[in-house]
Amino acid sequence: MSVPVKTQNLPPIKKLRNIPKEEQYVPGHRTCAGCGPALQYRLVAKAAGPNTIFLGPTGCMYVANASYLCTPYQVPWIHTQITNGGAVAAGVEAAYQVRIRKGTWKGELPNVIVMAGDGGSSDIGLQAMSALMYRGHDVLFVCYDNESYANTGIQTSPTTPYGSNTTFTPPGKAVPEGKKLFPKDVPQLVIGAHPAVKYVATASVAYPLDLMNKVRKALNHKGPTFLHIHAPCPKGWKFDESKTVEIARLAIETGMWSVYEWEDGEYRYQYKPKQYKPVREYLRTQKRFAHLQEEHIAKMQAFVDARVKSPGVPVNVPLPGPREQP
Amino acid sequence: MAKELLLSGCAAAAQAVKMARVDVICSYPIRPYTAAMMELAKMVNNGELDAEFVHGEGEHAQLAVVYGASAAGARVFTGSSGVGVTYAFENYSPISGGRLPVQMMIADRALDPPGDFGSEHTDAMSARDQGWIMGWAETPQEAFDNHLINYRIGEDRRVMLPQFVCQDGYFVSHIPGKVKIPDQAQVDEFLPPYAPGTHVLDPQQPCSHGPQIRPDQGAIMDLQRGEAFLNLPPVIEEVIDGYNRIMGRSYSPWVEEFMTGDAEIAFFLQGAHAATARHAIRHLRDQGVKAGLVKLRFVRPWPARQVAESLSKFKAVGVIETSTSYGGSMRGGNLLAEVRASLYDLPERPLTTSFMAGLGGDVIPLQEFYWMAQKLADAAKAGRVEKTVYWAGLEH
Repeated sequence: MSVPVKTQNLPPIKKLRNIPKEEQYVPGHRTCAGCGPALQYRLVAKAAGPNTIFLGPTGCMYVANASYLCTPYQVPWIHTQITNGGAVAAGVEAAYQVRIRKGTWKGELPNVIVMAGDGGSSDIGLQAMSALMYRGHDVLFVCYDNESYANTGIQTSPTTPYGSNTTFTPPGKAVPEGKKLFPKDVPQLVIGAHPAVKYVATASVAYPLDLMNKVRKALNHKGPTFLHIHAPCPKGWKFDESKTVEIARLAIETGMWSVYEWEDGEYRYQYKPKQYKPVREYLRTQKRFAHLQEEHIAKMQAFVDARVKSPGVPVNVPLPGPREQP
Repeated sequence: MAKELLLSGCAAAAQAVKMARVDVICSYPIRPYTAAMMELAKMVNNGELDAEFVHGEGEHAQLAVVYGASAAGARVFTGSSGVGVTYAFENYSPISGGRLPVQMMIADRALDPPGDFGSEHTDAMSARDQGWIMGWAETPQEAFDNHLINYRIGEDRRVMLPQFVCQDGYFVSHIPGKVKIPDQAQVDEFLPPYAPGTHVLDPQQPCSHGPQIRPDQGAIMDLQRGEAFLNLPPVIEEVIDGYNRIMGRSYSPWVEEFMTGDAEIAFFLQGAHAATARHAIRHLRDQGVKAGLVKLRFVRPWPARQVAESLSKFKAVGVIETSTSYGGSMRGGNLLAEVRASLYDLPERPLTTSFMAGLGGDVIPLQEFYWMAQKLADAAKAGRVEKTVYWAGLEH
């Protein structure tokens, strides 16, 4: 029944000085200094503009932002359970489709944006995210990836890198590397199995113009779109809060993060280094990797070497074996 | 044109939802409620009903979809049964706390284990404390009427609360009965288009919905939800009065009595088994037993005063529990605890006990009603009850 009722064409932003001055995500929230997720939230909201509704599944960007009577949102925002950002977004979009059709709401279909963490996208929220992508709702799903359940005290999530020290994967005598598993490839989950999706991209807080233009491109597309945004977390990754952007850039330079877009079946890379730096340079900037031994770093390097070859190519990762005797 | 059709409870519910001009529907299949969604899917795909029909990916998602749609200003409908009702549980409090007048049909089904298609009220009754209006229909006609009545109550600006509109699985959901269908004009007169409140998700009037609070901000919000329930009784009475007038019905809002004028003992229950109870009471009357029936229409809000007034005239009351509350104060179900609490302040209270009956979706045969009536008559004669719970059909 859905009739697309979106005609907007948000133009690309050519230069930093052309970025809109209007903020849709304003100061006054309680995120940590140097918070990558807060930084990307501001950019996403700025790019989307005022005709926008945000959905906030439980996570850092709910708990640290949405304090009663002083939320930072200049546009409508609604909390969703961590499980169901995708489903609530489907309901909001469906309501606007029918209300516009019946004439009970006058205006253009708002940008409906889910702002979900990695857990709310790829773990407990995966079912709702996948269903949203499958059913073809006109919604942008953003996964801001700080690579852990940070709000609850830095527990491992499906995107936490191999070898991370989290509070659920503390390195110890029996498990010296901490996290033994390799991460889920979230954009590939979306691209691989959701025919209604025509646009998926990854982005990083290191490159704000690229990030904002991908938001606009996604919102200009009709139907579901997905952005996976790398958002370093000083508290969880254990680095100095002045280094958020540097670490985000280093992730791209070492192949720990890839910036690309997938549009109508075609991949395009951005900021792909001619020569990747060794992952060791990235790992040593963060105390979550401080315990890693040479063999673990070699495993990580082999994984990254395989993954940067091409998106969508299966990477053969070593399965965690039985627990070692300390 | 008003007409009379032979409809199952599910089909009757679907007719009511269509006539309510609902905007967004979210489905997921589970027996037995799913027959209502099948009807609605046909109506939408035939163009009889202009609504968004979203195929939810599970019951949890169903409630999330209608939460979002209601927050965005739509009149919504969803439903479930059995373990589907419990799977969706996380969403119930956010919906009532968000003061969103979502409507959910429940066609009862026993919870697992073991897998059982039969009707038992435990699925819905487990959610009775989540801040939703809740009540049962005895017949497809009542199911039809209750869906319309509940939209009107829940969307009243003094209320703004979600509603569980319940019917017994199979006994009501799948057995056709005569249903008087009013004209669309009558429904439109009774149920105006949904006017969303001020807390709607609208870029032209931004608001934040469901933020994080401090513990010291929580109690006042609980109080507000509690006050909404205190505001409910006059609204329910007003709405049912209006419904009776426009549709030519004669519902009493809280409890409905049958042969209670001179009754000494009475059954107290909600839902489909009232039909068998009436039949049993007629037979008991033939045997000279002065029995009557009191049927509850809303379990939330619980009509304590009306229950007390109604039951105070009997010598002994048997509460028929069609749900379980393991380890509860009454050792069986929940209704007796509510009934006894309602009677507590009376100077003279009737004797009360409960019967676990109809569990697993089994019928309550006439023989069991006679047996229960005997227990009540014995209690009335002895002036005391032996115990608070009997398992009908499983003890002598």
